[in-house]
Amino acid sequence: MTHGHLWDRLAKAKSRLAPVQSKYRVLFENPAEPDAPASVLVPDPNWMAAALAGDILPPIDTYLRDRDVPDGQPKEHPYAEPIGAMTEEEAIEYLIQKDIPPQVWRDYQGNRSVLKIVPVELIPTDRSFRNAWKINQEMEMAA
Amino acid sequence: MSTLNVSNISDGTTTVGTGYVVNGSAKTWVYWDGTGTLAIRDSFNTSSVTDLGTGNYRVDVASEFQAAPGHLGFGSIVGFCASGATNTTSNYYVAQWNSSGTLTDGSRMNGAAFGDLA
Repeated sequence: MTHGHLWDRLAKAKSRLAPVQSKYRVLFENPAEPDAPASVLVPDPNWMAAALAGDILPPIDTYLRDRDVPDGQPKEHPYAEPIGAMTEEEAIEYLIQKDIPPQVWRDYQGNRSVLKIVPVELIPTDRSFRNAWKINQEMEMAA
Repeated sequence: MSTLNVSNISDGTTTVGTGYVVNGSAKTWVYWDGTGTLAIRDSFNTSSVTDLGTGNYRVDVASEFQAAPGHLGFGSIVGFCASGATNTTSNYYVAQWNSSGTLTDGSRMNGAAFGDLA
């Protein structure tokens, strides 16, 4: 096995890759928590650099299968064969599946938009009413 | 990459087992500004930080833990989830309260987690 452990690959990547600040954020509302404000996922710049470089991160499927692995049992993703370089948009889609609950991106069947990828400029900088934020249902999806 | 196979590390006076170094090192850490539009300043083995509301955050890791970390280390903040959610093998929660007991955003937020990697 020549690709080693994911943690080791990330350590090497941090020493040689410049961080990449994504131009996107992911807004989401968890249907399981209807009273909670909208959440804003911020991609990590070092993780994004690794995603764009390729040959570091494992296939997203391995993370999804590992969700069913009990604590303490071996997981698949650390030793899986790394995938190639992604575009920033592909990396965001990967991150949605990895870090956002499936009831948001896979299982929700309601009428509200509960997930949107938006340019960072659309996120308000004034946080005075942060706990009242909800996704604007009229807002256009960034693509 | 070369590998040193040693049981202990010494500076000539003090000796420590390499197991303490490996087990005592943070396996993931992150530093971010939670004011304005959240911005991650530096990190290692973190895939994202999610802004859950005022002073309330979730950190997801790239290389996950074998078991949910029970003990987390933090720099300038108190570490609990404001909504009562619990840590998992893939993420942990960070929250910050001010001296009045109100959740508040901070410009120097930190998170780190220790434990065995999967």
